[in-house]
Amino acid sequence: MNGKGSLTLEAGIEKAWDVLLDPNVLEKCIMGCKKMEQESENKYNADLSIGIAAVKGKYESTIEIADIEKPSHYKLIVKGEGGPGNVEAAGIIDLTPIDENTTELAYTYEADVGGKVAMIGQRMLGGVAKLIIQDFFKKLGKELKRIESNA
Amino acid sequence: MNTVIGNPLPRVEDARLLTGQGKYIDDLGTPGNTAQAAIVRSSYPHAYIQSIDITEALSVPGVKGVITGKDVQTYLNPFSVGVSTPVKYYPIAIDKVRYVGEPVAVVIAKNRYIAEDAAELVKVKYETLEPIVDIEKSIEEDAPILHENVGSNIANHRNFHYGNVDQAFNDADRIIKHKFNFPKYTATPIETYGIIAQYESSSDQYTIQANFHGPFIIQSVMAGALKIPSNRLRIIVPKDIGGSYGIKAGTFPYMVLCAVASRIIGCPVKWIEDRQEHLSASSSGTDRVTYIEAAVKEDGKVLGLKMKMIDNVGAYIRAPEPACLYRTHANSTGAYDIPNLMIDGYVVMTNKLPTGLIRGYGGQELYFPLERIMQMIAFDLGLDPAEVIQKNLIKAEQFPYHTASGGIYDSGDYEKAFHLALDTGKYQEFRQKQEEARRKGKIFGVGLACIVEPSGSNMGYITIALTPEERAASLPKSGASEAATISMDPMGSVNVRISTTPSGQGHETVAAQIVSDVLQIPTEQINVVAELDTSTSAWSIASGSYSSRFASLGSSAVYYAAHKVREKILKIAAHHLQVAEDDLTIENASIYSKADPSKKYSVKRAAGSAHWNPMSLPEGMEPGIYETYFYTAKKAEAPDENDLINSSVTYGFVADLVTVEIDPETGEVNILDYITIHDAGKLLNPLIVDGQIFGGLVHGLGGALYEELAYDEKGQFLTGSFMDYLVPTAPEIPNITIKHIESPSPVTPLGAKGLGEGNTMSAPVAIANAVSDALKPYQITIDSLPLSPNKIWNLLSEQKVTNS
Repeated sequence: MNGKGSLTLEAGIEKAWDVLLDPNVLEKCIMGCKKMEQESENKYNADLSIGIAAVKGKYESTIEIADIEKPSHYKLIVKGEGGPGNVEAAGIIDLTPIDENTTELAYTYEADVGGKVAMIGQRMLGGVAKLIIQDFFKKLGKELKRIESNA
Repeated sequence: MNTVIGNPLPRVEDARLLTGQGKYIDDLGTPGNTAQAAIVRSSYPHAYIQSIDITEALSVPGVKGVITGKDVQTYLNPFSVGVSTPVKYYPIAIDKVRYVGEPVAVVIAKNRYIAEDAAELVKVKYETLEPIVDIEKSIEEDAPILHENVGSNIANHRNFHYGNVDQAFNDADRIIKHKFNFPKYTATPIETYGIIAQYESSSDQYTIQANFHGPFIIQSVMAGALKIPSNRLRIIVPKDIGGSYGIKAGTFPYMVLCAVASRIIGCPVKWIEDRQEHLSASSSGTDRVTYIEAAVKEDGKVLGLKMKMIDNVGAYIRAPEPACLYRTHANSTGAYDIPNLMIDGYVVMTNKLPTGLIRGYGGQELYFPLERIMQMIAFDLGLDPAEVIQKNLIKAEQFPYHTASGGIYDSGDYEKAFHLALDTGKYQEFRQKQEEARRKGKIFGVGLACIVEPSGSNMGYITIALTPEERAASLPKSGASEAATISMDPMGSVNVRISTTPSGQGHETVAAQIVSDVLQIPTEQINVVAELDTSTSAWSIASGSYSSRFASLGSSAVYYAAHKVREKILKIAAHHLQVAEDDLTIENASIYSKADPSKKYSVKRAAGSAHWNPMSLPEGMEPGIYETYFYTAKKAEAPDENDLINSSVTYGFVADLVTVEIDPETGEVNILDYITIHDAGKLLNPLIVDGQIFGGLVHGLGGALYEELAYDEKGQFLTGSFMDYLVPTAPEIPNITIKHIESPSPVTPLGAKGLGEGNTMSAPVAIANAVSDALKPYQITIDSLPLSPNKIWNLLSEQKVTNS
């Protein structure tokens, strides 16, 4: 399953970059993220709790940030394993400045699931993936606003 | 008393089933210390197991233990299987997983809730490997290999030549060929697998209660796997099984797994499978690719056939596979007189659920290409499909008909049955209707299928998987046996014990009818015990419920056992009445002299003498009345050195005519009428017969239109619930007209043949033919199933067909 999308962030590219890669922000913005701890540089361990169709459960996950080209490009790799099966997703994010206070964010993603999630969640997966990604960027937008207004 | 055999007697089973008094596996009592199992399964199709961490699961209160492949390996041998390929199949993964859903650990706890919760805490680390699910790619050079020690994914390969195929293809006016894909689909009984296993260390004995219905040759396979003498493995099958359609032959790996779990944990272990487990990890039919080539004359006569079949048995070849490829070997040419035949048969393993019996077993995979090519021949030659079928059907005077591959079709009148189908379905009239409909932009089609329905498997057929040289080096297998025991107690009441482990087919009713006829006792007074216990029942390796073997074999065992009882009570009566035995007959529970009807002796008294007064019995006669008969059909020889094999004992015939309308906007196939004509020899109970036919037809309808165990290209299983795996329900069932002709079998004492699987074999192709016929104006031909609206719509769209 794969997809792509884009949105406009109300922040300059440098600011947007910092917020996007801030683990505290990531923890707040990833749906169902219960706990996130740094394992090494750009690699985190996280507990994700996600329900897809009738398959709800916890995934022990790693979140890795790779291919970093500050401040315009990176890759986010999420791998999770748990009772309901396994999830592997990779997103490529590109930032382009529009003006001083706005940045265009374009993303593409690929995700694979296995085990019970694939068995009975397949019909919903496309929709769920979209939901999770849209939710992520919605929360991120809010977070950016909050940080900007606090600044 | 009139003859009861052949009457549409209501089923004796139904009273208990309809009042909640059925005794299914989950209704059986268990010892107080019984624990429940939950199974941790692989979510990867192909991976090495790096580690399994059970510590967290073990710490859950109520958990009695967690076992893994490494734990059970001590107690088990790999299951044996009928091919020489050294595939090591255990009921749980040892160091590698090969399909999604494969067991990797078993959590045993005091109840299922705790077991399931703890199962989520078992942490398995995998090193993933590239999976392979495509049949043809699996045999390519660079394909990922499932079993490294085998060296390829081919589990079995055999080549067969019968007649003179080269000559036939030289003499042909045309060669018509096509490739067909038959999907992996399954049987979906309401009751899933259920097992209660107990190990007793004092006697080193395993007792397993399970809704397993044989073939009981697998009892030896299980005992071998458990490393015990076979009489230390007692299997008890409850009298009620909530449907199977073959799939419950596949309970055996789980029976062994639960048995070993009981041994390791030290208490009885119960496991009831859930629906998701059933769809992903029980068993299924095979998916098959067939390349078929027909050598034909301009008039539609088929001179010879070449078939390359590649059967996919999933991750492990396991008993009774590779039987799917060979069960129909004798009837490979179907209902047609085709003396020249070449078969190139492959059995391959891929990262999918392992396969086994399902209703129709091999038949639907065979007839899909065969009956599709018959229609394609007609279209190619500009002939009517009915004409091509007619041209090639075996004629009534050719019976018993010897097929190219060694089959002996016992009886039939295929032309008569086929014409009855054409007449009943008003074939010519429909053709006119179709023309009119086409002019109005509607899409109508009619499909025909003529198939031979094998029943009563010859236990020797599976050895055709071996070469004649390999067979010569091992002990031959033959026969098609079944046993029944009939006893008369001191009051003259009759108990009948059968070993056909019915799963809803009404064997108890038919057994009572047969005994009633032979002993002249009303059916209500006959008690039939369907529970099978390998320690106390009369059974043989062939026993069980599969290959429609009750009507041909089980009923014959009952019939002859009843005759043994009859002979004994007649001998007793003759002795007491001082008349010749052959002067006596039984009527209405009374034995009397034909010459002098005043000389009478009641059946009850004869039975009483055998128990109360054995001193009065004729010289040399044993007391009591307890007779067992082991029956085998005679026409069930081991394969010969030319690979000729009569793989089944009896062969019925089915002619189907189905009419469809396709909605051009949605691609939905609407079945207008389904006509099916059956010849299953003498019918023992027409009411049960029609019930079985309806069930088999609806299963076939599922295969044609709805059902597929779908995997993505990465080996993930996608249809783990009834929302993803679609089965037909009442609204999907079309108008069905069933008619019969009866050509009694000369092979069985009652003239009966098996039935109930026929339409599972015929419906997928009959409907595919109807759809192909409908879509002929658009140059669309059907070569894969199921025919979902999505598939048809896409085909239509590709042809740029619009509603206008």
